[in-house]
Amino acid sequence: MNKMRHAWRKWRAALVLGLALVPMLASITRADGIATGDTSRIRIAFSNSYAGNSFRQVMIRDFQDAAAQAVKEGKIKGYTVVSSNASVTEQASQMQNLILQGYNAIIILAGSDTALNGAVKDACDAGIVVVAFASGVTEPCAYRVDYDLDTYGQAEMNYFASRFGTKPTNLLEIRGLAGDGFDKRLHAGVEKALAEYPNFKIVGQVYGEWTSTVAQKEVAGILPSLPTIGGVLTQGGDGYGAAMAFEAAGRKLPIIIMGNRQDELALWKKERAAEGYETISLGATPSVSQAAFWVAQQILAGKKVPKFVQVPLLQIHQDDLDAWLAKVPDGGVADADFSQALTVAIIDANADHKPIPGIPAPK
Amino acid sequence: MSTVRIGPLLPPWSYGFIVAFALWIVTISATGPSRAGGTLVATVAFAAFSVLVGTGQMLVIASGPGNIDLSIPSVMTLAAYLAMSAMHESDGLVFLGLAVALGVGVVAGALNYAAIALLRLPPIIATLAWSFVFQSFAIDFGGEATLKPPPVLAASTTFRAAGIPILPGAVVVLTLIVMVVLRRTVFGRSLLAAGQSERAAYLAGVEVGWVRLWAYALCGGLGALAGYLLAGFTGGAALNMGDIYLMESIAVVVLGGTSVAGGDANAIGIWGAALFFNLLGIMLNTFRFQAGVRLFLTGVLIIAIVALVPHARARA
Repeated sequence: MNKMRHAWRKWRAALVLGLALVPMLASITRADGIATGDTSRIRIAFSNSYAGNSFRQVMIRDFQDAAAQAVKEGKIKGYTVVSSNASVTEQASQMQNLILQGYNAIIILAGSDTALNGAVKDACDAGIVVVAFASGVTEPCAYRVDYDLDTYGQAEMNYFASRFGTKPTNLLEIRGLAGDGFDKRLHAGVEKALAEYPNFKIVGQVYGEWTSTVAQKEVAGILPSLPTIGGVLTQGGDGYGAAMAFEAAGRKLPIIIMGNRQDELALWKKERAAEGYETISLGATPSVSQAAFWVAQQILAGKKVPKFVQVPLLQIHQDDLDAWLAKVPDGGVADADFSQALTVAIIDANADHKPIPGIPAPK
Repeated sequence: MSTVRIGPLLPPWSYGFIVAFALWIVTISATGPSRAGGTLVATVAFAAFSVLVGTGQMLVIASGPGNIDLSIPSVMTLAAYLAMSAMHESDGLVFLGLAVALGVGVVAGALNYAAIALLRLPPIIATLAWSFVFQSFAIDFGGEATLKPPPVLAASTTFRAAGIPILPGAVVVLTLIVMVVLRRTVFGRSLLAAGQSERAAYLAGVEVGWVRLWAYALCGGLGALAGYLLAGFTGGAALNMGDIYLMESIAVVVLGGTSVAGGDANAIGIWGAALFFNLLGIMLNTFRFQAGVRLFLTGVLIIAIVALVPHARARA
């Protein structure tokens, strides 16, 4: 019985693979790079490791919006989202279910960069296109859509350099979760950039867990022991809490790199009006789920996609602060759709080793 | 029967204070004495929130072996969300918001106990299950955004009289009230009696079910109050605002000298343990330990304190 099922699974895998190859052979890539192979019968699933914060809630909705629109336009047949509660074993078993349900592609925000390799491999073996995004998955059969976190730290340090020049300046670094991969990679980028600017010194370091309340608590705790701080390095979600801690301690607001949250942008605008406060804001966008969705769709439509697709961070500068602030929902995070066309342009830039197109500011 | 004591004859609740004091000295010896006051004020401000949720947890844990409330973080979040949306950032509605938060908390606590008593679920399962329900409600109530508090609420949670933050002072008063309630009132005595022996308490005429219902309802109410104030203090209600208080609410109770087996509560000890936890974080940040060392030191210190604290006197 078991053997039969195994054989059937193998056959089905071959069948699925064959069916996936058919559009690939028939695919036509248009001049703008968008592959137009028939994907009207495919179904794409989103396996999400955690849904317990507002960023992930918007991320799920963004995926659903893009997928629902694609269904309407006949670009795909169906989609689904499954979230596990920050448990990799749960996510692995959900992956197995998605494989059994015969999805053609799975985009995955993995809760671990190694623990899901088995499930990812099983999916690849069943002929499913797997796109891991905004999280490292080390299984080589998966496509990856991710940020270059070196550029995150680099952009923060470059901005400080543009403001302070070579003046000796104390910095406070707010990191993410102790031991987390994203935090380690971003911090490595900061360290690398720090080597170029010897006048900057990180005098304090706390773990804000990308959460305003935690960041506020940790910064408030260390602040009494610190000298005057010129700038605060952040990782997103922690800037407002840091500002509250500085305010509560009766200190002058340093240059805090904001993380695209509405409360941060509103504070920035208020301080700009009051005393010409200047900073930048950058961060990941929840809509990265859409980029992963379109990458999966394009692979199935026959487009040749590199195994690693770098996606841009959303940067907000002094000039387009008002435009972004008008667009961000109250208490939300700045977000911008990754359309099919933008995603394809990003894929092509990656393939040709050209600069990645940025996310345009709203008009 | 009496247990042999090896350690010095200090009350169990004093250990948190002693270790907290030691951590404070270590921290300011590295940063300089001029920072001592600022460090203490920051610590006390955040410890107040730990004490609020810890006091609720203590009432539940003291009400009998196995009783525990794992829904505190989600109750905090749900209460904060509902209160913030009831107030619409309007200063005139802060008391309405407070009432909404307390109502949510008390109902949530009652639901917890209803699942335990009526469905005969173990408390650990019942409260965990409800926590998923509460968290789902919070997600539905605008989980895509941070809901802002009215300016008056935000200002009053950080208000200082003569340099002393007023909110922690109010929480100290609450701790004193809880101490009196536990020692001098029928409810307090009944709660501890129920915690020591359910059968003996029942035979002595204590309505164990009602007493425990109150313990859970008060725990929910205190968690909700903490959520309401925390939303004011940190600039809004966010989905993950309660996350760190799951472990902390239990740890401060145990380190504070309350018996996990129930029947013995220590309200003042929660303050010592909460100060310890917050100062530990500050010290680890000050010395910039690596992630692994931080977790190691946290674990070792907790084990050391629990091992050192003399066991509560067995009652004759």
